[in-house]
Amino acid sequence: MTKHKKTTSNQFIRRDVLRIGGGVALSAPFVGRAWAETVEINMLAWYGHGEPDMVGAFEEANNVKFVPKYYAGGDNMLALIAQSPPGTYDIILSDGEFVQQLNAAGYIEELSADDYPFDDMLHEDFTKFPGHWDGDKLYSMILRGGHLGVSYNTTAMSAEEASSYEGFWKPELKGKVGHFDWHLPNLGMMSLKNGNGASLWDLTDDQWSAVQETTLSLREQIGGYFDYGGTFNGLKNGEMQAMCGIGDWITGVLERDGAPVASIIPKEGGIQFTESYCIGKDSEKADLVKSFIQYMMSPEGQVKSAQMLAYPGFCVTKGGRALLQEVDAKEAERSHQIDGMPNEPIALINEGRIHYRDIPQQQTLEDWNDFWSEYKNA
Amino acid sequence: MMSSKMLNIVLALYVALIFTFIFAPILFSLVFSLNSQRFPTIPLGDISTEWYAKILTDPDVWEAVRNSIIVSTSSAVLATTLGFCTAYTDFRYNFRFKGLYLALILLPPTIPLIIMALAMLAWLSRLGLSGQLWSIILAHSVLTAPFAMAIIRLRLHQMNPDLEAAAWNLGGSEWQTMRHVILPFCAPAIVSALCLTAAVSFDEFAVAWFVSGLNKTVPVVILEIVQGNIDPQVNAIGTFVFLTSMTLVIIAQVILFRRQTKSYS
Amino acid sequence: MRTKKTIDLYALTWRVPIILWQLLFFVGPVLFMVAISFFVVKNYRMTEAFEVVNWQKMLSRGYFWDSYWYTLFIASLSASIAMLIAFPAAWALAFRASDRLRSWAVFLLIIPFFTSYLVRTFSWYVILAESGVLNAILGFVGLGPFTMLNTHFGTIVGYLTLTLPLAVILQTVTMANIDKNLIEAARNLGCKPLATIWRVVLPLSKTGMIIAALFCFILAFGDFVAPFYLGGSQEPTLPILILDTTKSGQQWPRAAVVAIMMMLTLFTIAFTAIALAYRKPKGSK
Repeated sequence: MTKHKKTTSNQFIRRDVLRIGGGVALSAPFVGRAWAETVEINMLAWYGHGEPDMVGAFEEANNVKFVPKYYAGGDNMLALIAQSPPGTYDIILSDGEFVQQLNAAGYIEELSADDYPFDDMLHEDFTKFPGHWDGDKLYSMILRGGHLGVSYNTTAMSAEEASSYEGFWKPELKGKVGHFDWHLPNLGMMSLKNGNGASLWDLTDDQWSAVQETTLSLREQIGGYFDYGGTFNGLKNGEMQAMCGIGDWITGVLERDGAPVASIIPKEGGIQFTESYCIGKDSEKADLVKSFIQYMMSPEGQVKSAQMLAYPGFCVTKGGRALLQEVDAKEAERSHQIDGMPNEPIALINEGRIHYRDIPQQQTLEDWNDFWSEYKNA
Repeated sequence: MMSSKMLNIVLALYVALIFTFIFAPILFSLVFSLNSQRFPTIPLGDISTEWYAKILTDPDVWEAVRNSIIVSTSSAVLATTLGFCTAYTDFRYNFRFKGLYLALILLPPTIPLIIMALAMLAWLSRLGLSGQLWSIILAHSVLTAPFAMAIIRLRLHQMNPDLEAAAWNLGGSEWQTMRHVILPFCAPAIVSALCLTAAVSFDEFAVAWFVSGLNKTVPVVILEIVQGNIDPQVNAIGTFVFLTSMTLVIIAQVILFRRQTKSYS
Repeated sequence: MRTKKTIDLYALTWRVPIILWQLLFFVGPVLFMVAISFFVVKNYRMTEAFEVVNWQKMLSRGYFWDSYWYTLFIASLSASIAMLIAFPAAWALAFRASDRLRSWAVFLLIIPFFTSYLVRTFSWYVILAESGVLNAILGFVGLGPFTMLNTHFGTIVGYLTLTLPLAVILQTVTMANIDKNLIEAARNLGCKPLATIWRVVLPLSKTGMIIAALFCFILAFGDFVAPFYLGGSQEPTLPILILDTTKSGQQWPRAAVVAIMMMLTLFTIAFTAIALAYRKPKGSK
């Protein structure tokens, strides 16, 4: 804990001096022109990907500046792109399952597979991750992933109770269970609870009705629906003692700060979110973006991604994992990224306990979102 | 029934209570901004200026400050101009559909900001003006013009209506009268209006968030932090916004008060 | 001698610009939003059309009406609470405080408008939390801990943060402007203090009170911050619904439907209120 903090404050001191100078410069318009030579890269991403801890080193080395626009949820991302003039974003961080929609709407460029380290992947699935490819054409480079399951306060629930989604219905938790306010992961979890297993996204009408029923039965337990910040706060200050729809990506940050929270992949199975980078269509900075993606795929970049301050994700390359174990053994251990550890992400995938997140197959996203609104009002 | 003195004490306490409720979040925000904990709880942590250091060294925040200043000054100028025109028209003229005319400029505050935000976003996207600072400036000028109009109209109300006619009788044209009589008289109200509309624009987040795209103002940055990696940076920024807005409001009040007492002499 | 033409030019310079400006940037957007409600979304892109499908879908949804009635209810409730809480304070400031004290009080009350509403909401979040300041204090006295966040209570606290200063200011100014002689007269005629309030002060400040209540209602009705952050979306209000529909799938047409329903409701309430405010009571001059 102290070790991690020290590194950050050292970086801050160095960067402080640079940034104070840069900050003053930016605030004076005429002096700001001196910075105009810095290339700006517009990024559309989940929160935190454009922050100094992720992009700072690359920015300094290449004289670029990332201008981030943050979203929460794939539908939100699509809405944001659609409402901006074409060519607004140079780089887009997308959830794996939304890449095809980006492609269909013509928002992203094709990538060349040779540019990226597909030979260094930790799992075979990552080399040809569904959704990133259209036939033999690559459109999106997988960056990191995370597992979603039951997130809970360790003082309110035991690990055994949490090892099934049934735990959310524990009577003592009434009014203390929260939802991350996005339908997709939540309804996916309800689908898994119903035992749909690998076909959790491919629901027949009957199965869909069953999922809705299960969800509605949870309503009494629910204390609130939260966005990103609210989820953190709710778990941290104990308002919520269990959270549905999230995983280590939230509890990991709190754990790092010492809070008594944890996430477990329950026996019914967990969901994997996968984030990947795309290059915006007709971006003038495509080359710069490509070199940034390559940097993030290098061991150094992968470690940055695993250590991301906003929320952690696991490395997808062997080189990345090896370097992480070297420079930040504590984090590697905390996130189970050591071969042979229980709950090691790759092993979980191999055991079939993890299902990649996807969009619903037989219903539309709109149907699911509609039901989500209904559920909130129930 | 209580004695008058006791009643006064009770009322004073009640008023104090109300003020406590209103100011508690502001004071706490100040306290949290100097607190070391990322997620503030009781008991408080140590005193720390790290959040201020964080925002002062974040170029995104400076960029947002720059944007906010541009937006609020531009929209203040626009709104005050519009407000003056309407106030003067209302003061001087009576015409058919005057009610409708006044409604046109006074309606925006009655529509919830989030609806205006959505409408502006769609409309400006259609016109191709979305995502720029101009979009926010246009939207804010519409939203704050009523305040400017109200202030200037109040000031005009204090003016002797014969003053204008007197100036004409002395040979001045309407334009000259405007320049040498009316505008100087309204000057304090105009400055007040400028300050007030700038302050309102500086703090507005709903419309700015919807319409701004990548060009963020300070309130949008606050909203993003609250929605995202929430930490007391928000409180630190809040303190700055507060100080800036208060300065503007104080200037507005002082000028208006000073001139008011002056005009009575 | 001035010809009519010159006067017109002068007058028009002041009159016309706003008309154009407001038409372009106020009326335009609002009308366009009405138009949008008839557009159709295909593949996350809005296409121009004239279909009533959005209206059908939205208005047939149970959750829309649940949200509608809830929003109406909670906004009215918080406006009422704000007005009630503000009244004793405003009365004190109007009738018991010196002019100078009153000016200072009103000036102080303007301050909250210029602190970020978001930051104040976040502060309340921390104060009202289970392990927050308020529960800590109550804990000393042996009470609680109470769950205040993610409840209707939290939402109302949020709305009050937004509306209470305005309520106090408007009420104070309204009552301070009442002719003191009238109150003296009533007192001299033997009217007891409470009765004076009921039969003299309130009727005379009717207009101001109704306007104040109206604004409190409008502000609460349209706010999404309080019910979302302090109320935990329990239950979601119409503004939250607008956000939800905008965020997902580019459903601006649906959001427009919700927005229009909100506006119609507000216009109706506003017109009724203003009509009531300015109506002369029977039998008065």
